[in-house]
Amino acid sequence: MAYESVKVEKPLSLILLPILSVFTFFSAWELIVDTGIVPSTMLAAPSAVIKLFLIKLTDPNPDGAILAAHAWTSGKEAFIGYLLSLAFGLPLGLLMGWFTVVRGLARPIFELIRPIPPIAWIPLTIFWFGIGIEGKVFIIWLGGVVPCVINAFVGVRMTNPTLIQMARTYGASDWQIFVQLCIPSALPMVFGALQIALVCCWVNLVGAELLAADQGLGYLISMGRRLALPDMVVLGMVCVGFVGAVIGYAIERLECRLLAGIRR
Amino acid sequence: MTDYLGRRNKIEVKNLTRRFGDLLVLDHINFTVAEGEFLAIVGPTGCGKTTFLNCLSKLIPTSEGDIYVDGEVANPKKHNLAFVFQEPTCLPWRTVRDNVAYGMEVKHFPKDRIEKKLNDILNMVGLADTANLFPNQVSASMMQRIAVSRAFAVDPDLLMMDEPYGQLDIKLRYYLEDELIKLWQTLKSTVLFVTHNIEEAVYVAERILVLSNKPTHIKAEVLVDLPRPRSLIDPKFVEIRKQVTELIRWW
Repeated sequence: MAYESVKVEKPLSLILLPILSVFTFFSAWELIVDTGIVPSTMLAAPSAVIKLFLIKLTDPNPDGAILAAHAWTSGKEAFIGYLLSLAFGLPLGLLMGWFTVVRGLARPIFELIRPIPPIAWIPLTIFWFGIGIEGKVFIIWLGGVVPCVINAFVGVRMTNPTLIQMARTYGASDWQIFVQLCIPSALPMVFGALQIALVCCWVNLVGAELLAADQGLGYLISMGRRLALPDMVVLGMVCVGFVGAVIGYAIERLECRLLAGIRR
Repeated sequence: MTDYLGRRNKIEVKNLTRRFGDLLVLDHINFTVAEGEFLAIVGPTGCGKTTFLNCLSKLIPTSEGDIYVDGEVANPKKHNLAFVFQEPTCLPWRTVRDNVAYGMEVKHFPKDRIEKKLNDILNMVGLADTANLFPNQVSASMMQRIAVSRAFAVDPDLLMMDEPYGQLDIKLRYYLEDELIKLWQTLKSTVLFVTHNIEEAVYVAERILVLSNKPTHIKAEVLVDLPRPRSLIDPKFVEIRKQVTELIRWW
């Protein structure tokens, strides 16, 4: 008996339609600016953004740094904040899901802090850390930690109770059940958290940089506003979107690989 | 203490009682299971079979009485209890092979013993070809075979089965029942098989306990002294089946 995996081909429409939709979107955008329906002082055409993109690759003026430096600064801040939020939020959420003591201790404080938008912490953060990288990492961390905790918590709570009973009849300890059943059961939700936290981190990054920064993609956007350069604003926005999408795609690939058995 | 075949008593259930508030579900149940015996338990729907098994497997505490393994109060951490549930209990993130190994891993069996046992059992139940597939790639009957293999793999002191084949069609059922008997005969485990299917009970068991309606107690004990492989149309088989049916009928 041979068991072979069956390869499923992606339908042609799912390859062509996305190309069509992206193409139409950018053409329409270019047209409404070029024809003057929207004045170029309010919105930059894609062609203008591409032109500025090519210039900003090498020219640090007028905002003080080339594009790669902005992206590097933002990426560094976001990445550190993101990793810290995963490192703290996921274990906390997982433990809260399974161990009553952790849930009892952590939940009330978490529920109190959760509704405060991270941006509201900026003034305090400036008192504490100044406008250096630490403060921004803290804001980004705050944004990322909430979805990590919630998703990991819910993921553990959704563990199939029959599996837990099965493990108990074999004499598994609480810790064994937590590690061998609850954590793998929570993985799909945890991977969801990776995506959601990334978005939260990235969004808060721009917020943090808009208020207190001297370099970064958010700073590029706020400089574009101050200098009344819509193309620079849009360039900053596009870079934020593009980098976010690339990281999101990478996480999705990783998820597919690790969760091969769970997907139905 | 030995049973009618001269085997020593392995499992002793004394005064097993369970109440939920005022509702008496299990009423002072007493019985023994001999080492290596295949005991079936049948009873009318809603007689508390699941509560009964949950008490025996220590998933829920008893109100009175207890279950003893070799004279000691059963403890899942110390004794090898195994339970095959009616619904599939495969871990979706483990391959077939690792699923079968799960019970042995929980009990910290040494690596080489796990490997040897896995090879033996997977070959015996015909899962060797599919050992590296994930549960979502195999059929429902295979999932139940995984659960049964996992239970036998830990060399259980007591293997409890809660209508393991209740959701499968008749042909597969006969096939898996034969397989179960083969496993039991080879590995000499002590099996407690709960079912509401009387024919199934007579087909697999050496002895059948018939439970009453709630509050549940043991109404009768029937010895199934038939040679194996058993035939469903053997007059003696039919006679025992009728006898159990008469005992169980509540209409």
